[in-house]
Amino acid sequence: MSDPQDRKRWRGLALLVRDAVEHGSRAVEKVHLETARRPFVILEHIPAIAEPTKLVHTVHDLAVTSVYETIRIVNRVVGSTVDVAFDTLGAMDEKKSE
Amino acid sequence: MGRKLELALGVLNGAIGDHLARTGNGLATDLTLVHEGRPLPLSRLRDVLPAPSPRVVVLLHGLMCTEDIWRFPSGDDYGALLARDFGFTPLYVRYNTGLAIPDSGRALSRLLDGLVEQYPGPLEEILPLGFSMGGLVARSAVHFASLEDNGWLARVRRAIYVGTPHRGAPLERAGRVLTGLLARIPDPYVKLVGEIGDLRSAGIKDLGNADLRHEDRSARDTFLADPHHPVPLLPSIRHYLVAGSLSREPWLTEIFGDTMVPISSGTNGHHAGPRALPPGNVKVLPGLSHMDVAHHPEVYAQLKEWLTE
Repeated sequence: MSDPQDRKRWRGLALLVRDAVEHGSRAVEKVHLETARRPFVILEHIPAIAEPTKLVHTVHDLAVTSVYETIRIVNRVVGSTVDVAFDTLGAMDEKKSE
Repeated sequence: MGRKLELALGVLNGAIGDHLARTGNGLATDLTLVHEGRPLPLSRLRDVLPAPSPRVVVLLHGLMCTEDIWRFPSGDDYGALLARDFGFTPLYVRYNTGLAIPDSGRALSRLLDGLVEQYPGPLEEILPLGFSMGGLVARSAVHFASLEDNGWLARVRRAIYVGTPHRGAPLERAGRVLTGLLARIPDPYVKLVGEIGDLRSAGIKDLGNADLRHEDRSARDTFLADPHHPVPLLPSIRHYLVAGSLSREPWLTEIFGDTMVPISSGTNGHHAGPRALPPGNVKVLPGLSHMDVAHHPEVYAQLKEWLTE
């Protein structure tokens, strides 16, 4: 890993994985919410259960969004940790080559 | 491992290279000369070219490739053969094929300007040789150089294009229509498929209509048209075009071309029109697929014939 080009690429790979998780989770979240929305909308048209359904719908969406947001937060934390690790390795390599 | 890694990065750059460049990702390829698989800064030309020829051939690979695409099974390539037979110094360019073609064209123009300044000897001729997208990048660079009056352009007397979609690639245009249709279907799963399809790079999208300038991209035709190109081949240069054709049957040749580029696009519609090139400057080689034309003895025989003229 002493080659700066290799280090740059490893860092790039880590960033790419981070981007993939970030964008992928957003895309899947959108599909998840949209798919769940359909039965909720039908149920919300039935007067007898409309109000409790709206409540369940809101709670459901909140729970789903929270799960995906947690995934993204963990992803960013891991990404930042990897960045620090690369910085440390880079500093060690520079020290060695001095 | 090194060669395979570079090939993998070439594919990755072709697919999402514009995203990599935009996010400052270290996997993005910068446009540069390469020598023995490593980037070659212009300042190091003197070290690797102890006896530089006054004529250089600049080889530009195609989408999702690296300079490896030029290699014959025997290990030769057009650059090495042109060096042997005509004394050209071969210079191989590697670039991020996912970037918009005008961006790569501008970067190439800057590189060639630098080459003229730092070439370790007199430089009389620059011969661009582009495969597929590489030909469009060369055309884009020529276009920008002609606007900005760059010195390197005066050294270009001939340009060679092999398997270049001068009038665009129908497969990309079909993809554009398909992703457009998918985006209009009100189903989240179908939309997701459409969005994934739309992630393809700016470079791939530019191939659809062979867009050489940013302003051309905004005027894209949604339908499967084959428009006449808004940036004609520069008349002060002699242009030579090689197009492959998978079949030897004339009617199949017209429809499928080399599988990626139809004959009408690969030959810049040489059959007719006021902008048509002299017939002798265009060669259709039956039995060669798109990838074959980048490294085939028949293609080289044709290049040799043209350069002997």
